[in-house]
Amino acid sequence: MNEIVRGIVAFLLWPGLISAVLLAWFYLWLGRKVTARLQGRQGPPFFQPFFDFVKLLGKKMIRPTGINMGLFLGLPLVSLISVLAALALIPAPGSTSISFPGDLIFLLYLLEMPALVDILVGYVSRSVYAQVGAVREALLSLGHNLPFIVAFIALAIQAKSSNLQTIVDMHFSLVQIFAAIALIIAIPARVKANPFSIPNAETEIVAGTHIEYNGPALAILELVHGLEIVALSGLLASLFSGMVTGVLPSLIVYLVVSILVVIFTSLLAASTARVKVQYALGFYWRWGALAAALAVVAAVM
Amino acid sequence: MPYRIPIGPYHPALEEPYKLQLSCTGETVQAVEIEVGFTLRAIELLAQRRNYVQDIVLVEHVCGICSNVHATAFAMAAEKIAGIQIPDRARYIRTIMGELERLHSHLLWAGIGSEDIGFRSMFMEMYYVRESIMDILEVISGNRVNYGMIAIGGVNRDIPDPKLILPKVQELRKVLENMAIPIFTRNATVKSRTVKIGPLSKQDAIKYGVVGPMARASGVNIDIRQDLPYAAYQDLDFKIVTSEDGDVQARLVVRALEMLESVRLIESALANMPSGPIRIDDPFPTIPAGEATSRVEAPRGEAFYYVASDGSDTPLRVKIRTPSYINIPAIPLLCVGQNLADMPLIQASIDPCVSCTDR
Repeated sequence: MNEIVRGIVAFLLWPGLISAVLLAWFYLWLGRKVTARLQGRQGPPFFQPFFDFVKLLGKKMIRPTGINMGLFLGLPLVSLISVLAALALIPAPGSTSISFPGDLIFLLYLLEMPALVDILVGYVSRSVYAQVGAVREALLSLGHNLPFIVAFIALAIQAKSSNLQTIVDMHFSLVQIFAAIALIIAIPARVKANPFSIPNAETEIVAGTHIEYNGPALAILELVHGLEIVALSGLLASLFSGMVTGVLPSLIVYLVVSILVVIFTSLLAASTARVKVQYALGFYWRWGALAAALAVVAAVM
Repeated sequence: MPYRIPIGPYHPALEEPYKLQLSCTGETVQAVEIEVGFTLRAIELLAQRRNYVQDIVLVEHVCGICSNVHATAFAMAAEKIAGIQIPDRARYIRTIMGELERLHSHLLWAGIGSEDIGFRSMFMEMYYVRESIMDILEVISGNRVNYGMIAIGGVNRDIPDPKLILPKVQELRKVLENMAIPIFTRNATVKSRTVKIGPLSKQDAIKYGVVGPMARASGVNIDIRQDLPYAAYQDLDFKIVTSEDGDVQARLVVRALEMLESVRLIESALANMPSGPIRIDDPFPTIPAGEATSRVEAPRGEAFYYVASDGSDTPLRVKIRTPSYINIPAIPLLCVGQNLADMPLIQASIDPCVSCTDR
């Protein structure tokens, strides 16, 4: 019984639903504010991402004809639940989540769901722009998943376990550094930020896979996007939060590293143009794979 | 089996409505069809129903970006028929207005091009510096878009104080030299989107008769300011900018260097501006029967006007040939075999002005 309560607390409170949604809005605001200041603009007010969400929720939904509405509305929910479950598994400091052997693999699958859902909604929408977006999303996921997954393989080899808590608790070494580099290379493409904003390239394919979405369904997809940022930056931060002892200091490290990841992504996005998908794949298979391979080599040695 | 994907008439990559109907296999474009005519206003017809003074205002509305060029070309044609020699000071003011307009047009284009490759920071920067040019134009003419500067026989307003303009123009040169040109030519992500993209060979450029920066970027040495100097260009020692590469990067560089040349022309014109009247004494000169053509280098290339007069206050015929009208048919040539992802930038690289094209 105790375990179930702990699981529910992790899913709903920390690091799950409530805290993650608040963090997501904060990170979205931070990213937009940093970008705006770099571009000489004022940027949005602090509550803007929250206002955006509420506004979309209150909109009347336009249902495109000739589309399977079950899939059209169900897929964003699948995406939301997956990313929330992934968040509940993240070994954030002070988390009450249940740790079990192999939870790393479960987490990786859950984190893959938003990309998979984006591909599926692209085809479900039956818009040619959305389909091009879906193809691009699928291609891009072949790129960024290479460093992302291999980095975790390296960590698992080092810890001799596929349990997240064991990985986070292990002694800090070169492996974590290389894995962190591989992860930070993978994150811009995973959150579809510039220069890898390829699947949602506005001037090329309008809104990409989300083109037919509007109102509450779009609100959920946007929320999932924010939650993905929280999950990915949190996952990276949790590698470092094990360095200090005590819940409060490690919590501070966790949040600081997460914020740094968000700022890095915004800086990168503000200083680059969007590249083409072939270029992105080449980049990930060369430099992303190199960082990940170094992590594996360090782990094996 | 190729699939068809429309870009336009309403699309985030387009400033104005026209349509590219693409046929693609995968992300490679196989064929392109172009449709124009979404914003036809029948200006040529309207011009034949209004008098010359009203027509100056009308032809300014052909384009929202190069409005001054159209008024200049129309006034030049009318002056040619009537044999009017405009005062020297008016020639210099027309040159300064033309070059300021070229600056803001090229900056607008650089912004749109940046936006098309997802480089939003550069878009913001370009529009920020463009704003200072718009301010200068407003100081001179009182207007930001349709300046109302040109009159038959001269210009309507004087430039009283060169000091108002010079610092801002020199500031722009610094921005271009220190920021814009290095970023556009060295940033790896920008280069990956522009180098060897949308190529146009010199032979094709001549065959399709493209004009303006588009032709100059393919190594065709044409510029009305050099070939048939009007206004004060022969006094100012205009230097043409060309490139042999013929890709999007070359079009970027040609336009950037042209902006530097414009800055130099403005500085030189302000320094050497003769004193005297700004227009002839007769505010409403009679245009006798006759016909004339005039050619002006607009920011996008050669703008051609034909005006025929029967001696009344209304022109018998006004024919407008705009540079975008010549350049748009070359788009399929640039696009076929290229990536779908490059379409927005390739179509933007010719700087299509749809409002000019449709007239």
